[in-house]
Amino acid sequence: MGALTIHFHPMIPVRLEHVTKKFGSQIALDDVSLTIQAGEVFFLLGPSGCGKSTLLRLIAGLHQPTSGRIYFGDRDVTSIGTEHRNAVMCFQSYALWPHMDARQNIRFGLEIRKIDRTEADRRVEQVIQLVQLGPFAHKKPNEMSGGQQQRVALARALVVKPDCLLLDEPLSNLDAKLRLEMRTEIRRICRASGLTAIYVTHDQKEALSIADRMAVLNFGKIEQIGRPQELYLKPRNRFVAHFMGETNFIDGIVRGMKDSLIEVQTSVGNILAGYCPEPIQSGDRVVVSVRPETIRFGPAPSHSSLNAFAASVHDTIYLGEMAQHVVSLGTGPSLELKAFELNPKRVARDGAVEQTTIRIDPEDVVVLKN
Amino acid sequence: MKNTTAWILWVVLTGLFSVTFLWPIGQIVKQGFFDAEGHLTLKYMIGVFENPIYVEGLINSVKIAIGTTILVCLIGVPLAWLANRYDFAGKSLFQAVLLVPMILPPFVGAIGFTQMFGQYGAVNSLLGLSVDWIGSGQYLGVIVLQALGLYPILYLNVAAALANIDPAMEQAAENLGCTGLTKFRRITLPLIMPGLFAGGTIVFIWAFTELGTPLIMQYNRCTPVQVFDALKDIGKDPFPYALVFVMLVASVLLYAVGKLIFGRNSYAMQSKAATASSVVRAEGWRAWGIPLVFAAICFVALLPHLGVVLTSFSPAGSWYQTVIPTELTFHHYSEALGHDMTVSSIGNSLLFASLSVFLNLLIGVSVAFVVVRSRVPLRGMLDAMAMLPLAVPGIVMAFGYLSISTWAANLPAVKENEWLKSLFDVRTNPTLFLVVAYAVRRLPYMVRSAVAGLQQTSVTLEEASANLGASGLTTVRRITLPLILANLIAGAMLAFAFSMLEVSDSLMLAQRADYFPITKTIYELFQMIGTGKYLASALGVWAMVFLATTILGASLILGRKMGAIFRV
Repeated sequence: MGALTIHFHPMIPVRLEHVTKKFGSQIALDDVSLTIQAGEVFFLLGPSGCGKSTLLRLIAGLHQPTSGRIYFGDRDVTSIGTEHRNAVMCFQSYALWPHMDARQNIRFGLEIRKIDRTEADRRVEQVIQLVQLGPFAHKKPNEMSGGQQQRVALARALVVKPDCLLLDEPLSNLDAKLRLEMRTEIRRICRASGLTAIYVTHDQKEALSIADRMAVLNFGKIEQIGRPQELYLKPRNRFVAHFMGETNFIDGIVRGMKDSLIEVQTSVGNILAGYCPEPIQSGDRVVVSVRPETIRFGPAPSHSSLNAFAASVHDTIYLGEMAQHVVSLGTGPSLELKAFELNPKRVARDGAVEQTTIRIDPEDVVVLKN
Repeated sequence: MKNTTAWILWVVLTGLFSVTFLWPIGQIVKQGFFDAEGHLTLKYMIGVFENPIYVEGLINSVKIAIGTTILVCLIGVPLAWLANRYDFAGKSLFQAVLLVPMILPPFVGAIGFTQMFGQYGAVNSLLGLSVDWIGSGQYLGVIVLQALGLYPILYLNVAAALANIDPAMEQAAENLGCTGLTKFRRITLPLIMPGLFAGGTIVFIWAFTELGTPLIMQYNRCTPVQVFDALKDIGKDPFPYALVFVMLVASVLLYAVGKLIFGRNSYAMQSKAATASSVVRAEGWRAWGIPLVFAAICFVALLPHLGVVLTSFSPAGSWYQTVIPTELTFHHYSEALGHDMTVSSIGNSLLFASLSVFLNLLIGVSVAFVVVRSRVPLRGMLDAMAMLPLAVPGIVMAFGYLSISTWAANLPAVKENEWLKSLFDVRTNPTLFLVVAYAVRRLPYMVRSAVAGLQQTSVTLEEASANLGASGLTTVRRITLPLILANLIAGAMLAFAFSMLEVSDSLMLAQRADYFPITKTIYELFQMIGTGKYLASALGVWAMVFLATTILGASLILGRKMGAIFRV
């Protein structure tokens, strides 16, 4: 990769302080404070309408905040127009100008910045190599595939050496296979350029796979900020737990502590949990979050019977590399859980109910306040 | 649509088109290139270019076209841009009023224009000057008048092109540091170029071949007026045919060049706009500045027509060296409506326009069906053919129809049969030719609106109907037509409005007073010594009110889609 590494000198942190954005009476962002470190690939993640794109456009200078300040490094850019921010955006629709070919599109920003001809040529060629656009550089946008257009949009932003790179759902217009390919590409390019990059998406897999850190937004507020594993394994609340991936929620009441584990009483028996994001006490109503892939099948090893339950497998969706089971616990009004099994062996036939035991490692169980 | 039905329709439509459109043009070519013995000759063609008066006429016409087009761009582009960018007080009203001048033919406005800008007219009285605006610059008068009538076409095209731009296109430029005029020049302008060029082409051809305005303004050294004057010699003198042919070639070439350069109507945007439109509320000085600009343009554009209105209410001689008439009277209206020619002309125009709109609807919808809903290989050609009348000047068509009528009238069978005579000889009864001429000229608008309607209507809606057992015709009647009705009504209203005030064909084909349409009557009244000008104005006002109502209705029904009809 060495030859393709481009060193971008400016690496600046981006800081938002109490930023609020209203559209009319509608609050798109509600008092958001956030620091994005220099050189970090930071993700804004959330369902549609959560304000993540608005946040990105505020950083780009395409919107003005209703209140609050935005800093690039020590520079207050709140009232600076987008054209003077050097925070360059890759638009969701790519926004490639159809009357220019790929190279002209890429070169445009350099012309506006009055970079001299030879230097501009050199940088355009370099970035074309970086995004591997070579044979398509002379094509017009409408002669290119989605993936190629995506590369041009990326190149157009990168070539001006932005202070920070802003990506607005860059992969949402691509088909599934291409999306995977470009995901890897973008990660490579971000790492190679060492840029501060802010990336908006609603796809948590995209975020988990590329992000250094990420923020989950909902209704204009930040729910949680952290590294991918933190958000996945230690969600702060029910929304984050649910949004980061499939999970089972089981209602219960805290009974107390047991060997530094939290004991929660549920309709199917007591469950021991290893983590709770906030202080709790006996009697608190809570939900227990158990991710489907943490559920194991088969009788417990003799020395431990923690979190082992008798269960029956009701239904199975076979997906090849894994199977998604629906298992029910208990006797009375039964509780159904989703459980994933990698390299699956037990594939229930129609109507056949298999009796088994499931186990959940307390370390994998999170207790969340209801 | 079944393939056989489509084929039959295609053949019928192509046949109809050949007879009503290609044949008249063929007549002109024939008369211009063959001498009395039927030998091919270039001597008429060469004759045109050797005659300094004809050459001067051509040069003047080109000058009119260029001047008008530039003026139209100067008015239309900024207006469209402002309307696209800003929300301001009275926007929708202004947008509707802006379109009104389009259907008020400049030649009616010319009557008021002379009152306003004449040496003893309103403007001089207001400013205390005695400049002879028109006398010293008939050219200026002609292009200003035409520009004030034609800018809506460009405005609509540019507005549609601007609306089609994904706002992210410009945001991306801003985001890279490009703003203001540079952004307009490097991004916005290239993106709207196809729309600008399409509108500009129509305006250019229209101005190049406009007959009414120079006629009333007495700017006689231009080709359309020369051709009109040569009418007296038709049949004997082949030079007018050659002259008309030159006009035809120039117009078609221009149209073709435009199509070649911008093969597609517009750049297909890569994806639908992902961001909300970038319309901002005008604030500060813009909040009143922009409405002021719109109001000013509307006022100036309607000034000639205001002149017509005032003329129609002023007793003879009461509007002389004053800003407005010193007295008002309704006398001209009662006199005009009492005049034989006037009453019959209103009836005639209504009849001709209604019949031609009916024909238009029938043909337009059929063409649209074949083009959008069938797989007939040659459907593209049909579409292109239906749009061709835009490229062919009205005066050329009128000349062609006239020559067909002359030919038909000389056939023995027609000479002897009264009924055939009243059908084919315009000297007896021009109804057939006028209806066909009106219909052919306005067909492109009808086809565009019908095509747009069909394209917006998913074919699955029709398939669902067929799937439930409905026959083809039932589906068309119960599903398709109701869905595209708004488009059809709007297209029909426009076609109707244009037909009501059509100039070239009306002036040339209507030759008996009892078959005069409104426009020819206005022209004839205007020629009358004494109160003619006032009667013409009164009739003009009647027509304008009627048409303004029509186009306002059409723009309300079609809303923002209005532009789609005028895009070629």
